[in-house]
Amino acid sequence: MRSARFFLVALATFLFALAALIALATPASAIERNFAGSAQLDYHFVPTVRSAKAFPSTFDGFTMEFAGKLAVDFSERVSANMKVCYGCHGFEADMMYFDIRVADELNFRIGRFSPSFGAFNLRHDPANHRLSDKPLPYDMGRMLRMRQWNMSVLPSPFPDNGLEIDGTKWLGPSVQLDYAAYAVTGFKSDVRPLDIDFKLSRSPQAYYVDDNARPTFGGRMALTFKLGEASDLTLGASGMYGTYDPNNDQSYLIVGADATLRVDKTTIRAEYLGRRTELSTADRTLFKYVVADERGDFTMKHGAYFEVEHGLTSELDLIGRVDGMYRVGNVEAASELSRRSSVFRYTLGTAYAIERGLRIKFSTELWEFSDRDALTGRKLELSMHTALAGSF
Amino acid sequence: MRLRLLAALFGAALVSTAIACEHGEALDASKMPENVRADYEVFAHKCSKCHSLARPLTANITDDEQWVLYVNRMRRQPGSGISPQDQEAILRFLRYYAADLRRIQAEKNGGAPVPAHQNQSVPVLTPATPAPPAPAPPASAVDGGAT
Repeated sequence: MRSARFFLVALATFLFALAALIALATPASAIERNFAGSAQLDYHFVPTVRSAKAFPSTFDGFTMEFAGKLAVDFSERVSANMKVCYGCHGFEADMMYFDIRVADELNFRIGRFSPSFGAFNLRHDPANHRLSDKPLPYDMGRMLRMRQWNMSVLPSPFPDNGLEIDGTKWLGPSVQLDYAAYAVTGFKSDVRPLDIDFKLSRSPQAYYVDDNARPTFGGRMALTFKLGEASDLTLGASGMYGTYDPNNDQSYLIVGADATLRVDKTTIRAEYLGRRTELSTADRTLFKYVVADERGDFTMKHGAYFEVEHGLTSELDLIGRVDGMYRVGNVEAASELSRRSSVFRYTLGTAYAIERGLRIKFSTELWEFSDRDALTGRKLELSMHTALAGSF
Repeated sequence: MRLRLLAALFGAALVSTAIACEHGEALDASKMPENVRADYEVFAHKCSKCHSLARPLTANITDDEQWVLYVNRMRRQPGSGISPQDQEAILRFLRYYAADLRRIQAEKNGGAPVPAHQNQSVPVLTPATPAPPAPAPPASAVDGGAT
């Protein structure tokens, strides 16, 4: 294991040095800087409860998130990106990386970035998606009962520190191939965990420190087919594997598949994510159900969404989405979830461009849980979003 | 209280919707010269895949060289669907747009309008082939809101 790690580090160092030499050999023209930003104020209203206390962990009310991004092109081969955002967990460095390009087909991304996974990742900024909240497999804070579910399959964005090698290649005039492979810090937890600790994973106190010194590896491959002047189809597959506890005893594997079809003003998106997470069964009294001797030491969380977005006019978009998650496996003794739990959400929304770069978003969501809420006994919930989102 | 707040928000949104009928995010292609419209359509379709069109249109970039670097960076984004041919069309439109921004800025500063071809020393993809000059925009071609 140690020799494999040494080989990996040596290979990465060699490739990075080679890329830096090639990049620096290109004379730099004037350094170009571009500043961009976005913000969203959202009001989340849950009319099916009288008091927000019924959802102590739900952002029932106003939420604000904003981000500022600086992109610097040192030359055609070297650029830097820095993005700082403020959201549900305070200020966070969402990006802080260098791109060193040998060619379009070979780029080295080094620093802090969101590793390439899935199709939604590129649109995670609230100004870049038309509904107020993210699809459930990627949701972080606006999901009802999010603590019981420990958020989604892969809360987005998921900035991490490491190295990514990626590239793009046109295979003829109509097909674009993209690939990415990366080694990053990975998610974190305490010792003997029952699940990934997403709060600890993002904690500013441990930004630059890996909890187990073993990288998480992953990659993505996608093909984009140009179907016509105003239509294209993208098919992608992603995977990520690593350990998350300090002792490297528990692993996680996340896989995903996605398809995006754009035909003129209509975009259809479908995506699936699945996460297999090993858990510690050292203390069996912590669990709600008897721990099975076989296949009792992991959980599976599946998530998917299907979304249709149509531009009715140049100002008005109509969006419909069905998304959900399905979790299988043992749970903590106090959990309101069952061995098999599901949640489905049906969303209808609109987005109006009231001015260039400024949109008002409305959406209504019907939630259908398989488990009753402990306080209200309810399985169905209704929630509404009104948001103002802007970008510049 | 919460219902009143929500009603107020909906009211504000309805007013905004009425305003939305007059102000959109995109440019009015009918006001552009005919030879720019096709390039604008490529720009509008490709660049709205991952972000709103406001991003490039309000970036206030008037330097053609900066657009080349910017669009190159976007073309390399995974799944961008921006082919080298698309990039040429997008840059042709952005040169036209930047020329109009320069003209508006020059007018604001009380100076003479800057000719569209003055800032086009940067090759797009193939250094051997000089980029075609951007058509000079008429006074009302680009919506003044861009600045």
